Amino acid sequence: MSFRQKSKCADGEYNGDENRNRGPSKWSNCRKRGADGSMRSNGDVDSTSTSDLKKSNPTHKHPDNRPVSFTTPESGGPVSRCTDWGSEVETDEMRTSVRRDMQRRRILTADFGPRERTNSSGSSDSRDSPVPGEGMEDDEEVLMRRQKQINYGKNTLAYDRYIQEVPKHLRQPAHPKTPNKFKKYSRRSWDQQIKLWKVKIHAWDPPAQQGSELQAIEEVDLDDIMDIELDFPELDSDASAQPVKVTKAPSSQLDTCHGTPSKMIKMEASVDLDMV
Amino acid sequence: MPTSKMDNPNEDYKIQSFDLETQKLLKTALKEPSAVDLEKVSNVIVDQSLKDPVFSKEAGRICYTIVQAEAKHNGNVFRRNLLNRLQLEFKAREETRLRSRQEWVCFVTFICNIFDYLKVNSMPMVALVHPVFDCLFRLAQPDSLNNEEEVDCLVLQLHRIGDQLEKMNSQRMDELFYLLRDGFLLQEGLSSMARLLLLEILEFRAGAWTLSDTAQKYYYSEVND
Repeated sequence: MSFRQKSKCADGEYNGDENRNRGPSKWSNCRKRGADGSMRSNGDVDSTSTSDLKKSNPTHKHPDNRPVSFTTPESGGPVSRCTDWGSEVETDEMRTSVRRDMQRRRILTADFGPRERTNSSGSSDSRDSPVPGEGMEDDEEVLMRRQKQINYGKNTLAYDRYIQEVPKHLRQPAHPKTPNKFKKYSRRSWDQQIKLWKVKIHAWDPPAQQGSELQAIEEVDLDDIMDIELDFPELDSDASAQPVKVTKAPSSQLDTCHGTPSKMIKMEASVDLDMV
Repeated sequence: MPTSKMDNPNEDYKIQSFDLETQKLLKTALKEPSAVDLEKVSNVIVDQSLKDPVFSKEAGRICYTIVQAEAKHNGNVFRRNLLNRLQLEFKAREETRLRSRQEWVCFVTFICNIFDYLKVNSMPMVALVHPVFDCLFRLAQPDSLNNEEEVDCLVLQLHRIGDQLEKMNSQRMDELFYLLRDGFLLQEGLSSMARLLLLEILEFRAGAWTLSDTAQKYYYSEVND
């Protein structure tokens, strides 16, 4: 697993061993230098708590200037240069979530492996679980990056509104569906899926105006407009495009987000069918 | 952590010490975090925790509820602001202690309370482990052991989160207890109350973070006969 240094906070994750060492900590061995090579700054006032300890305990770390981000072996390795607790906890949370997801995924796919092979590859099921032959994406760094992208998409008002309006059992193929981070995809393919997914979610953006017309449209039951197919002039130039099934508030979308529908169509045209 | 008492936030979260406007802000934050300025909310909570010993002991609970409420919509603005503010206070703890022992003690109580309540995927926050230990180590220094307020704070935190801390880093816990033994045995001028508190916590940990019945009787029963 390669170590990549990135400038963005918490992006440069190193895939050390996966074990979270909770026992007698190895943090003394993992002590890393800060960017300037020094371990502590001059202005630290904390001599009382460290001077005695240093003699009896060579492994004690200097409280203030220990580069926090480099010394969390409990989490499995050095992390980015970002040293604020907020980011550190976020990263830690993502890492533990991803690991837990991986374990869950492994167990589930192991259990249902034989059944999956009988599914047709074109069915949506093949997207839910990785095809056993290909194996699962298990590079932690990749998974965390993908999870972060997914989180950005989910941390929006539009997504909130979407999941409230469309419970899972009512979802249709045209509805936004979160890309499966465990499937093997090239970087470009994955990024494209994320982009498309987020564009689709935009259909649920809160309306810019609060006109009574718009409100009436939003209250329309989804089932009534489920199968509306909208024709756009631009569609003709992309002959292979599927007709777009826009399911939610298409009118308000046209009113407030002019570019979105045609953008969706143009992107659909160039995309693999089973990515929808 | 959430209990049925959550229906009555006023009493549970001990926010009576805030002025009415702030109480309103907090109540809204508890139900609809996205409707308020969460950075302000976190500052308000931290500020009060540093001033109010009673609030600092249970402020973790209100923080937990706000974090959960925000997490439902995939947000974590409050937690991020809270932690970064805590980090600032942590960095300035020595000055705080010089300025006001009570504020220092409140800070330690608060950060330990946060450690207790705010878990990440059911685990304590790794980022807080060393800072919390640093605070406890500071409290185990001779000048702090001579101050009953600080000894009391130290043993209170160990009672509440000692076992969790030990699981996260048993080596540092061992080192802390070397200090406590030394303090108990060697420190001149230690008050009898301080010695009592230290002896009890030594026994408490030796019993795997619980007191035997007889020890419980010895320390906590007022009527000994």
